[in-house]
Amino acid sequence: MTQPVFEARDVSRIFEPAQGALQRLGDRLAGRQPPLVRAVDRVTLSVSEGETLGIVGESGCGKSTLARMIAGILPVSGGERRYRGEGYDSFLARKRDALKVQMVFQDPMSSLNPRLKVGEIIGEAAALHGVVPRAQIRRYVVETLNRVGLPADAIDRYPHEFSGGQRQRVGIARALAVKPDLLVCDEAVAALDVSVQAQIINLLMDIKQDSGLSMIFISHDLGLIRHLCDRVAVMYLGRVVELAGTEELFSNPTHPYTQMLLAGMPQISLKRRTFMPIKGEIPSPLAPPPGCHFHPRCLAATDHCSTRRPELVELAPGHTHACLNAGLTRN
Amino acid sequence: MSRASLAEFAGRFAESRVGLASLAVTLFFLFCALFAPLLSPTDPYDLSRLELIDALKPMGSPQVLPGEEFRANFAVTDGVATPDGDVGDLATASCGERCIAVRLASAETELASLQVRSLPKGMSVEGASKHPVQPWWTVNDPEGNGVRIVSDEPLPAAFSFSVIAKTAEQPTDFVFVAGTDAFGRDMLSAILYGIRISIFVGVLAAGSAMVIGTGLGLLAAWRGGVTDAVIMRTVDFMLSFPAILVGLSILAILGSGVDKVIMAVVLVQWCYYARTSRSLALSELNKEYVEAARCLRLPAWRIMLRHVLPNCMPQIIVLFTLNIAAAISLESSLSFLGVGLPLTQPSLGMLIANGYEFIFSQKYWISFGPGLVLLVMIVAMNLLGDRLRDLNNPRFDR
Ligand SMILES: Nc1ncnc2c1ncn2[C@@H]1O[C@H](COP(=O)(O)OP(=O)(O)O)[C@@H](O)[C@H]1O
Ligand code: SF4
Ligand SMILES: [Mg+2]
Repeated sequence: MTQPVFEARDVSRIFEPAQGALQRLGDRLAGRQPPLVRAVDRVTLSVSEGETLGIVGESGCGKSTLARMIAGILPVSGGERRYRGEGYDSFLARKRDALKVQMVFQDPMSSLNPRLKVGEIIGEAAALHGVVPRAQIRRYVVETLNRVGLPADAIDRYPHEFSGGQRQRVGIARALAVKPDLLVCDEAVAALDVSVQAQIINLLMDIKQDSGLSMIFISHDLGLIRHLCDRVAVMYLGRVVELAGTEELFSNPTHPYTQMLLAGMPQISLKRRTFMPIKGEIPSPLAPPPGCHFHPRCLAATDHCSTRRPELVELAPGHTHACLNAGLTRN
Repeated sequence: MSRASLAEFAGRFAESRVGLASLAVTLFFLFCALFAPLLSPTDPYDLSRLELIDALKPMGSPQVLPGEEFRANFAVTDGVATPDGDVGDLATASCGERCIAVRLASAETELASLQVRSLPKGMSVEGASKHPVQPWWTVNDPEGNGVRIVSDEPLPAAFSFSVIAKTAEQPTDFVFVAGTDAFGRDMLSAILYGIRISIFVGVLAAGSAMVIGTGLGLLAAWRGGVTDAVIMRTVDFMLSFPAILVGLSILAILGSGVDKVIMAVVLVQWCYYARTSRSLALSELNKEYVEAARCLRLPAWRIMLRHVLPNCMPQIIVLFTLNIAAAISLESSLSFLGVGLPLTQPSLGMLIANGYEFIFSQKYWISFGPGLVLLVMIVAMNLLGDRLRDLNNPRFDR
């Protein structure tokens, strides 16, 4: 088996909500544990060469946190990350190589520095790290702009002169300019109009086809995930609950949460648009339910669901899920 | 900032008349500061040009040239006087058998006094008062710009005498618009130079505080943790003292001088920049463009200085404008208290202090001019800073 481009094993991230010094001191004196957010809880996944991995889940389930850890801009609280087999500690230490993992951000407004011209935004890192010689940087930026479908004269303009879609193209160009292997797109189209979304999706697909880079595509939009991805990981409150090939996942979802998500998804034929009643709200990540996080909302929940944490188990080759009642929920 | 948004900013700025007026006044004072040597009618530092006769003149008095004194010797033979050496403007004429007139040739210059010395016995000077011991005759304010030497007896065949003439003080065309101080210094020039020194010290001090404070604020924001805590607790500590107290203590320890005053201002003001830039940087650091920069593996200093700092700059510039005014007034207070700038560099505060002792003898103008200028300057700079701050604060956007 060939080595995956990226691999995460039991990666976790715990946030301590910002508190005043007095409150912390009080907590410590009272022997209270400060409240922790397990934004990402022991996630294991991998992306192989040229593959697009989708990560889907409701807002607040830790998708962005996971994306930032994959991109190497947020340290992990536990677990291991590897780029082509190499641990992230040494990988990130070599700045030039660490450019191989890049990220496209969600917000087309705040993800571009308003004080820099587009040419500087795109060319800065490439010039600084010597991706291209400084003398050729302008030409290189123009080439990159063309690649993402922007005119060459964009180079001397400021971000605020562009529309949301164009700004997202600039964000993509910025990532592409340092020649990455793995592109992490965190809700890259969520903030855009539907018509513009399609253009950006097409652009991402074209780029993938041209350069064969691997991609992690994060979204809460199941339709997009199905359209774009080879494999899909479904997250719920910081954990991966199901991971399978796209076809397999959409045709044969085994985890009750996935089933619920898919049932809530608008079907292509509007006649058969079915919604499953969603039981309960999404719980607070500050105090997730014990055992299986999903049990308060799960239709298949049994007694032990509230006490035991389900581990990922392989149901079929390439199809894993974390549910204690696997047999019961299999359709 | 791009050209378009700069133009838009200028347009919005111009909407407020107070803002425009304060900008104009501030620019005017900056102009005065820059070109003080060209604008000021006299050089207030040139002590050799000062005349005590001009001291403490009220506003609008003309400058007065002090009288000159010159000496001449005359030799008289057979009743005819001839100059003995250089006699300047003085001339003699015969005014009768036993009479010699000595007068100033030119009519413009007036004589304040004329003294005739070493006349032979029996001769005297008309209308003169004689020195009790010496043979010196002095006529004050001589009529017709001259005196007559007369004799009771026929003139000796040959004798000589000497003359000491003092010309009268002369008002000139030059007017001390703002009066003069106790040394006869033109207050207008002194004020112009005072503006120059005050603004120089204010800008340099506020600028140094800006660089140091902003640097520390960015450091605190970037590093967080202990660094942040140490810097910000120091800020809280420093801010709990009144500025003037910190300034006085520093100058009491270090002594006075431009550099010490600047140090005192920096020590007072860096806190404001540190606090502001830290909170601005913290909110910038949350934005995705910073994460993008980190993902592009740019060095920390580059992210802070090239990406974060420029986005914090507008607010820091506002603070800078306000702090220049604060620095000027702190420096003036210290100088007024006599611990600020040295006497050789009279700032506005020191000019006010110099005039303070004369206020009770109704010579108000020495303090009044510099005080008024200081007041207007600080008010204008504060209004300008406020206006810039309003424009920067999106909540005050229409
Ligand atoms: N810097 C942080 N400090 C504290 N909590 C955080 C931080 N970032 C994210 N979280 C928390 O972690 C959880 C997951 O957030 P996020 O990864 O942004 O979710 P998603 O991208 O799936 O919407 C949320 O509950 C959020 O409040
Ligand atoms: S473990 Fe239990 S609660 Fe969790 S998804 Fe499976 S059946 Fe539902
Ligand atoms: Mg997110």
